[in-house]
Amino acid sequence: MISKEICQRVLARAVSTGADYAEIFAEHSVNHSISMIENKVETVQDAVIAGAGIRVYKGLRSVMATTIDTTEEGLLRCAGKAAEALSQGKAEISICLKERLYGDIHPVRVVPSSVSNAEKIAVLKEGYFAARQYSDSIRQVTGSLLDVDHNILIATSEGLYAQDRQIRTRLSISAVAEKNGETQTGSCSPGRRMGMEMFENEVDAKATGIKAAEQAVTMAGAGYCPAGVMPVAIGNGFGGVIFHEACGHSLEASSVAYGCSQFAGKLGQQIANPKVTAIDDGTIPNAWGSINIDDEGTPARKNVLIEKGILKSYMIDKFNGRRMGMPSTGNARRQSYSFTTTSRMTNTYIAEGADRNEDIISSIEYGLFAKQMGGGSVNPTTGEFNFAVAEGYLIRNGRICEPVRGASLVGKGSEVIMNIDMVGSGLELGQGMCGSSSGSIPTNVGQPLIRVASITVGGRS
Amino acid sequence: MDFNSFKQYVIKAAQDLGITEYELYYQTSESTDVDIFKHEVNEFSSSMDGGVCFRCLVNGRMGYASTEELSAEQAESLVKRAYENASVLENDDREFLVEGGQEYEPLNITPYELPTTESLIQTALAGQEALYAADPAVIDGTSCSTGSVKRTIAIFNSKGLDLSYENNIAIFAAGAVVSNGKEMSNDYSVKTGSFLELDVKEQAAKAVSDALAKLDAEVAPTGSYPVVFSPKAVASLLGTYSGIFSAQSAQKGLSMLKGKEGEMIAAPIVTLVDDPFYPDSAMPISFDAEGSPTHKKNIIENGRLNTLLYNLKTAAIAGRQTTGNASKVSYTSPVGIRPFTMYLAGREFTEDELLQKAGNGVYINFLGGLHAGANVISGDFSLQSAGFLIENGVKTRAVKSFTVAGNFYQLLNQITAIGKEVELPNARGITSFGAPCVLVEGLSIAGK
Repeated sequence: MISKEICQRVLARAVSTGADYAEIFAEHSVNHSISMIENKVETVQDAVIAGAGIRVYKGLRSVMATTIDTTEEGLLRCAGKAAEALSQGKAEISICLKERLYGDIHPVRVVPSSVSNAEKIAVLKEGYFAARQYSDSIRQVTGSLLDVDHNILIATSEGLYAQDRQIRTRLSISAVAEKNGETQTGSCSPGRRMGMEMFENEVDAKATGIKAAEQAVTMAGAGYCPAGVMPVAIGNGFGGVIFHEACGHSLEASSVAYGCSQFAGKLGQQIANPKVTAIDDGTIPNAWGSINIDDEGTPARKNVLIEKGILKSYMIDKFNGRRMGMPSTGNARRQSYSFTTTSRMTNTYIAEGADRNEDIISSIEYGLFAKQMGGGSVNPTTGEFNFAVAEGYLIRNGRICEPVRGASLVGKGSEVIMNIDMVGSGLELGQGMCGSSSGSIPTNVGQPLIRVASITVGGRS
Repeated sequence: MDFNSFKQYVIKAAQDLGITEYELYYQTSESTDVDIFKHEVNEFSSSMDGGVCFRCLVNGRMGYASTEELSAEQAESLVKRAYENASVLENDDREFLVEGGQEYEPLNITPYELPTTESLIQTALAGQEALYAADPAVIDGTSCSTGSVKRTIAIFNSKGLDLSYENNIAIFAAGAVVSNGKEMSNDYSVKTGSFLELDVKEQAAKAVSDALAKLDAEVAPTGSYPVVFSPKAVASLLGTYSGIFSAQSAQKGLSMLKGKEGEMIAAPIVTLVDDPFYPDSAMPISFDAEGSPTHKKNIIENGRLNTLLYNLKTAAIAGRQTTGNASKVSYTSPVGIRPFTMYLAGREFTEDELLQKAGNGVYINFLGGLHAGANVISGDFSLQSAGFLIENGVKTRAVKSFTVAGNFYQLLNQITAIGKEVELPNARGITSFGAPCVLVEGLSIAGK
C-alpha cells in the first residue's frame, strides 16, 4: 500500500514537534453487498474505502489526523497537521522500520471479489426463498449478502511495519410473519472471517432462511411476555450478548483507564459467580471477530478475562494502556481510518460449565427461557444494561411451555454476573456488529446455556 | 484530484460505455474533536473523509458504485462497476433522475461560523471546569468534549442538475460522572449549533444534576401506570419509529401504515410535522438526496395520517408527487426515505400540568437500547428506562433499572395530553427529532 521509505519520512514528520510515539494506519477496503426484498434483487452496493489516520502521542496526550489523500505529499501534510496540534517542543527520533510478517491464521480460499454477482445471488436466493416458502404466514422477507475485503497497514515510530488482509462474508435473512393481523419478525445472520467457501461447509444458506422464518412464525403466534423479576435460562450462541453488554464493555480500557467502569481497580477480585469463566479470543481460526493483528499492529491473543469468577484481565489498547501502566492485550480496533482506535472486544464468550442443560431448565419453577437474544446496550460506568429477547418461552414447573413476545432483560452488570449460577454445555458463537466510539466492528458473542437466578424481565404486566 | 476534475473523468467514462443517464453524489465532512480528561486535553483529532457515489440507469435499472479514491483509474472502474451492478438487479419499479432547473425554497439562514481550534479547546476546558464546580460529587472520568463539523454535499446529473450545499456545526458535550462513595452515576448534556449561544455553565449544571438524580434511585414498582415522557424520551421514540412513515416501508409491507393515508391513526390531539427548514435543525436544506425541492408538511394532522414520506420512485408507484424526502444513510447508500426535522407539534400544557393530570404514575426522561428493545415492524417495545415516580401530581423519588413496554401504533392513540414547548435534543446530522412532553395512559412498567 505505502512503502517503508514513505512511512519513515511521514513518521519523522509526525514526531518532529516532540511526540514520543507516532503511528500510521492506512486502509484500502472494498465493501460489497447485495440485497433482496419482495423476491427480487433490489440493490447492489459497492464501495472503495481508502485513506489514512496518523496518531501521535506525548505522554497521556493523543492527537489524530486523517486524510483520504494517501500520496506522500498528502500523508506528510496530514502528519504535519497532527504534529502541529501536539506541538510540545522539538524532537528527532530516528525511525527504522522493520517489516514483520505475522502470517495468516484465518486462511481464505475463495476471495469474494473474484466471485461474480450472479454466483453470490444464487447463494442469497437459496437462503431467501427458504424463508419465503417456509409458511403461508410469511408476509415479507429481506436478505443480504455482504463481503468485505479490508486491507490495513500499520507503521509506527517504534519500527513496526506490518500489513493484514481481513476478508469477511455474512448472509442475513429477516422474515416477517403475520397471524391474526399482528406481525412479528425473525432473523438469522451467520458470518465468518472467510470468503465464499463459507457456504461449502460452515454455513447452510437454506438453514439460515428457515431459522429466520421459523422464529417469525413462532413469535407471531405468541402472547406478550409477563413482567417481573424471575429466573431466566439464556440459550447458547447469541445469548452471549448478555456477557458482552453486562460485563464486556466495562472491561475495555476505554472505560477502565478513566475510572468510568464498574470493574475499575478490581483485578484479582471476585466480580462474577465462581461458575463463570469468560474469554476474549481474537485467534479463533476464521471466526467473525478474529484478527491476525489488531489495528495498532499487536498480534491477536486469547485473553482470559474472568477465571472462576476472579477478574484476570482487561482488554487494552496501547494509548489507554499508557494511563493504566499496562501493555496492550491486542484489542485495539477501529471501523476504518477515520475513527480513533480504542480497546474493543473480538470473540468474547462464557466457557462451558459443569451443569447439565436439562438440569438448568428443570430447576426453574416459573421463569423465562430466552432461546434467542436480540441486541442490547450498556452504560459501562454504571453497568446498567438492556437487551431484547428475540425468541422467548415461559418455563413452568421445569418445562419449556408457550412462546412469549416483546420481552427484554434489564439490570446491572456487576449484579447479573454474580447471578449466573448455572453454566451448561453446547458453547456456540453468534455474530454481531458492535458499535462504540471507534465505530462499528464485527464481534462474536457466545456461551453455552446458562441460568441467571434472578433478573428483571420487561414485559407486560 | 478534486471533485470537479474527477467529474470530468467520470463523464468521459460514462460516454465510453454509452451510459446517458447518470448522477454523481459527492459528500465530504471535515471534523475536529477535543476531549478533556481531568484538566487537560486527552485526545485531539482532526479528520477528513468523504467520497463519491455514481449511479446510472441501464435498461431502466439503477446501478450504484462508490469510492473515496478520486483518481482517473477509479473514475473508470466506478462507472464500470455501477454498470455491471445494474445488470443483475431484478426490481421492475421505474427509477428516476431529477431534471435540472427546479425551483428551490431559499434558505434564509446564515451558516454558523466554525469555531477555531483554540476556541474548541478553551470551550472544552471551560466546560470541564464548570462540571467540576457544579457539585462536590463530581469525580474524575467526567469529560467535556467539543467538536466542529463542516459538511459539503454536491449532486450533479446528466439531466442538468448541479446542486451544492455546505453546512457548519459546532458541538458541545458535557459528560458528568458523580459518585456518592458507594456507586457511580453519569449523564450527558449535548448542545449543537453555534458556540455564540452556548451557556457552558448551564449545560454543565444540567449534566451534573441529571447524573445526581440517578444516584440512590430505586427500581420502579411493576404495574400499569400513566406515564409522562420528557421531550428527550419522546424524541428518541420518534427517531426509532420514524421509518414507519416511509412510503418505501409501507409499500414493502414493513409498516402497518400501508393503505392508511386519510385515516385516523392517532389521538385527535396528535399532529406530527416534518420541516426541512426548522430553525433549530442541525442541517436545514432545500433539496433532498435526489435533488428534489424540500418542503414542510404535516405527516399526521389532528390524528389523521395526512401523508407518508415519498421519494421519486415510491411516489411514482403511488401515483403522486414526491414529498422531497429522498435520503441516503451514507453517500454509498441507495436512495431511501427519511424525514428532516420530525417533531410532534406542541399543545397547551406545561409539564407540571401533565404531572397533575397523571396523578400517580411514572415520569420517564431516559430510554435505552432502542435499537434492540423496539421492534420497528410490529411496533412492540420494551425499553430500559429511568426517571421519577409521580405521586399526587408531582415528581418525587428517582427511579431506574425498569422497563416500559407498549406498542408504538397503540401509543399514538394512548396519548391523552401534550405539552407546550417543543425541544430538539441531540440535533446532529441531517435528521433531527423533537417533541414536547407527553402524557400516555396505561403503559406496563416492569421493575421490582
